[in-house]
Amino acid sequence: MTSYRLSSGGLIDRTASLNFKFDGKSFTGHPGDTLASALIANGVHLMGRSFKYHRPRGVITAGAAEPNALVELREGGRKEANTRATMIELYEGLTAQSQNRWPSLDFDIGAINSLASSMFVAGFYYKTFMWPKSFWEKIYEPIIRKAAGLGTASKEADPDKYEKAYAHCDLLVIGSGPTGLMAALTAGRSGARVILADESARLGGSLLNEREEIDGDSGIAWADGVIAELGSMPNVTLMPRTTVFGWYDGNIFGAAERVNDHVIAPSPYEPRQRYWRIIAKKAVLAAGAEERPVAFGGNDIPGVMLASAMRTYANRYAAAAGKSVVVFTNNDSGYRTARDMKAHGVHVEAIVDSRSESKADAGGVPVLRGRRIADVGGKKLAAGIELDDHTHIGCDAVAMSGGWSPIVNLACHRGGRPAWNDQILGFVPPDTGKDFIVAGAAAGRMLLSECLADGARAGTLKGKAPATPKCRDEAFAIAPLWWVKESHGKAFIDYQNDSTAKDLPLAAREGYRDIELAKRYTTTGMATDQGKLGNVNAIAILAEATGKSMEQVGTTTFRPYYTPVSFGAFAGPFHGHHFQPVRKTPLHDWADELGAVFVETGLWMRSSWFPLEGEDWLAAASREVVATRERVGICDVSTLGKIDVQGKDAGAFLDKLYCNTFSTLAVGRARYGLMLREDGIVYDDGTTSRLADDHYVMTTTTANAAKVMAQMEFAHQALFPELDVTYVTVTEQWAQMAVAGPKARATLQKIVDGLEMNDQSVPYMAALEVTVLNGVPARLFRLSFSGEHAYELAVPADYGNMVARAVMQAGDEFGIVPYGVEALSIMRIEKGHVAGGELNGTTTAADLGLGKMMSSKKDYIGRMMAQRPGLTDPNRQCVVGIRPVDPQDRIRSGSHILKDGDRPSMAADQGYVCSVAWSPMLNMWIGLALIANGRARHGEVVQVWDGLRGHKVMGEICDPVHFDKENKRLHA
Amino acid sequence: MPKAPVRSKPVAVAEVILPRVSPLADVAVQGRFGADRGAPGVTFSVRHPLSIATVIARAGKGKATAQALAEYEPRWAGPDQYFVVAQGRGEGALYRELKSALDGIASVSDQSHGRVIIRIEGPKVRNVLAKGTPVDLHADEFPAGKSALTQMAHVGVHMTRVGEDAFELSVFRGFSESFWEWITEQAEEFGYQVR
Repeated sequence: MTSYRLSSGGLIDRTASLNFKFDGKSFTGHPGDTLASALIANGVHLMGRSFKYHRPRGVITAGAAEPNALVELREGGRKEANTRATMIELYEGLTAQSQNRWPSLDFDIGAINSLASSMFVAGFYYKTFMWPKSFWEKIYEPIIRKAAGLGTASKEADPDKYEKAYAHCDLLVIGSGPTGLMAALTAGRSGARVILADESARLGGSLLNEREEIDGDSGIAWADGVIAELGSMPNVTLMPRTTVFGWYDGNIFGAAERVNDHVIAPSPYEPRQRYWRIIAKKAVLAAGAEERPVAFGGNDIPGVMLASAMRTYANRYAAAAGKSVVVFTNNDSGYRTARDMKAHGVHVEAIVDSRSESKADAGGVPVLRGRRIADVGGKKLAAGIELDDHTHIGCDAVAMSGGWSPIVNLACHRGGRPAWNDQILGFVPPDTGKDFIVAGAAAGRMLLSECLADGARAGTLKGKAPATPKCRDEAFAIAPLWWVKESHGKAFIDYQNDSTAKDLPLAAREGYRDIELAKRYTTTGMATDQGKLGNVNAIAILAEATGKSMEQVGTTTFRPYYTPVSFGAFAGPFHGHHFQPVRKTPLHDWADELGAVFVETGLWMRSSWFPLEGEDWLAAASREVVATRERVGICDVSTLGKIDVQGKDAGAFLDKLYCNTFSTLAVGRARYGLMLREDGIVYDDGTTSRLADDHYVMTTTTANAAKVMAQMEFAHQALFPELDVTYVTVTEQWAQMAVAGPKARATLQKIVDGLEMNDQSVPYMAALEVTVLNGVPARLFRLSFSGEHAYELAVPADYGNMVARAVMQAGDEFGIVPYGVEALSIMRIEKGHVAGGELNGTTTAADLGLGKMMSSKKDYIGRMMAQRPGLTDPNRQCVVGIRPVDPQDRIRSGSHILKDGDRPSMAADQGYVCSVAWSPMLNMWIGLALIANGRARHGEVVQVWDGLRGHKVMGEICDPVHFDKENKRLHA
Repeated sequence: MPKAPVRSKPVAVAEVILPRVSPLADVAVQGRFGADRGAPGVTFSVRHPLSIATVIARAGKGKATAQALAEYEPRWAGPDQYFVVAQGRGEGALYRELKSALDGIASVSDQSHGRVIIRIEGPKVRNVLAKGTPVDLHADEFPAGKSALTQMAHVGVHMTRVGEDAFELSVFRGFSESFWEWITEQAEEFGYQVR
């Protein structure tokens, strides 16, 4: 294979060699190469196949917009599909595979699509896969899905780490070309906090690709000097390998840093990529400009590339795109390629300039003025060209320049639309306000001196902009040329998606005259490069086809992300173990020691049941219920929300929050409270105790703890700011355990200090501050959710495990058991206590059987709305008990209630079962249900119909209190 | 018959020292972890046992509260809200002291057990914290003594700068283990030490 490596020059390290593999073949390159430049240097021009026609493709660009040279990089869990070879830094041991070809890149069966290309015009899918309709789901869609996409994703887990991070600065400079460097230098010297980000591994931007002269030295030498100075400033952060991909509200920028993409695997402890949110007081977009292709026949054949790419490969990477070159241009910049290639010793056949005049310096290369390339010959490599006057010229590489598009993407991410500029023939950025400045070529400045001056201005945060270094300018002039209509071959607009120049007039003829519609109809601009190269050409061709101006057609919408960002970077560390934080109760270790099975409740891990050898959950929970009801049990209830409410108006505030009254509660007592939403529906419930005149402690359900706190903030700040009240969460301060059962008092008596526990000292609903175990401060509440004689004991969290173990020890002689939330739930259903299933956002206090709690003597949140007719309708669904007529039958949660004999229908629906449990006390399945006018229907036999499981049993509506209806046990 | 109070009076116990167990007792293992490149980038330590109280000014008492707290180096925790932190105090002692000092001026709640304070210090401290918090930690913006309420890794964090390169992160006890695992992982690339 012939070497296309130039004998000298380039920013590569020729003293070191790097081995890599492409499609299984071994090659070598040098540090400083990209995969694309190393392949070119090795004479490999065929790098990929296009999406639709599977046409052989080589590189078009040397940068981020590359649509053709997409490869699968790496293998196994680290494989990345659709990775641009132009952006992959070469490293030792790199492996890459070409994609979208079978069986090989060189011989691809799919290229047969090309023979049928007259079929594959714009709107092909819409036109072809319409009939018969039934074919879509089973036949057409699977085939299209299979054919779609380029590379294939790995099915293995990615072994690498990803991170997220925030950064702040006075000035964010995006792009490190002449404009960006000048801006960063100016701001850095003034002492401002500066971040300079560039997608490339090496800072310098276009100065690395071009042969410029600044301050009497080469552009590269000037850039290196500036970068060294910036690197020495403590107030400047340099971020190479970092793509700023989006501009968001608050002048926040998203960026992806490829920390370890340039090595075979990250070193231990380092992430592969880091996702940044950069919060910038000001920012400068110095992203430069993107060269455009020209649409002519065979403008996609390997060997045809952008003129700037060809000279970048030669200047920066010392790789010649060919042995014999033709330059085709509509502007002066193409001449640079001819001169640079010639300077590198590459033969340049001619410059084909579509303009009849130009003052640009051709450097001795023949110029064919007023001529255009109609077609390029060759299949897998360019083999000569034919001009519009049928002249043939031999060559193996074509450099094309259709002008320059300022890279305005980020400037348009917040809704601004770019404006057409007739001078430079490009869209220039919209007004982005004073905190985001677009400068240099990204703002349409085409001269180096303008870029330097623009950068200096943008980097001047106060005072006058400094003088800029002297440089040699390359004049710029351009005349429009979008499409060479004399072409015979396909003239591509969007390379990756194979949309051609002819597709756009076709779209216009078929009614898709708006650019957004034409885009979707032709798929122009929908590939991974998102139209960076082809969209302006597409707009121009559509403008001509519809008789509109460029401005009138306008662009499609620019959205983040500027270039693709990996899912790994988005996820950061928040997957697997860190997907969400785990919240453990202060009694976690105690429960764990006793073999608890934990269940996620929100973020909390709650002990769910405590199985003995051979027990399943139901056996364990049933045993826990029986033991608690017969003897004594202990349960971790620490997750209930606890809110300290203090202040002279604490009672008045609680009266507003709850539908019942708390200001009358005696110190040392607790009361069950019910909270409504503003719309009159029940919000939350819990027990609130009064510890002092101006001090209450409120409890909320586990699920609503944070929501209730937010409700309190709102109520105090917006509704009742006159109240002198404070509230703060103390949920985590306390380890709280319920101790329930006939032996609860005897158990606790053994650990409570100096208090003879009886119905006088600790009456039902008492709330006392005591100490346990010789001095551990504690709160003792006599409350019951289980229906048993029960207490809740709260101790500061660090003592939780110790105290729970002590309770277990104290209860040992009585046969104490730990019980989990399953047993808790069984017991509350046995007692008909409402919980989450009933407080489900649809029920009123009356629906729950708690209507009497709604005070008529005071105002409270939800009072007015609760009086609406719909909420007081006697026919509303209300909570009742439900049990199977045949005790052998099982009723299931979610089942609907139907009258005996009715067929299931919405009209016949009487309500539904919201909670069920196996009751070990009653030896049958029992439940709570919401049934229309249910309280008047106790004793009625109904169908309990479970359409989901195809299951129906007969049930009887009954009192919600299934067990111990007289509440004898509570006071036992 | 009842010997102890049946009404809410704190049991009179003078500065009792009780065996408190940190939720990070088995998790924050001392040693050197992560990348080994000379001196550790950061050092973690768990400040335990510690006395912590929230102080919230009553209506119109913001100034009085701030004045009364001057000697306690209060940590800002919202408008007219503070955390007060103290070391070496008996169970509930700080709470009782503040409660009596601020009677009628501010509400005091004991949070000594409810929050865990992790101290992180060292030359890479800002790099580690920047992986979690959107707060600007540059010394000009966030000098020593300043506090912020923020979120890191989905966990609410009260953060205070306690020195040039030292911060204290206060999280709910229940999240402390999860948070510890996350933040120490973020420090691995710099190498870290647990003290």
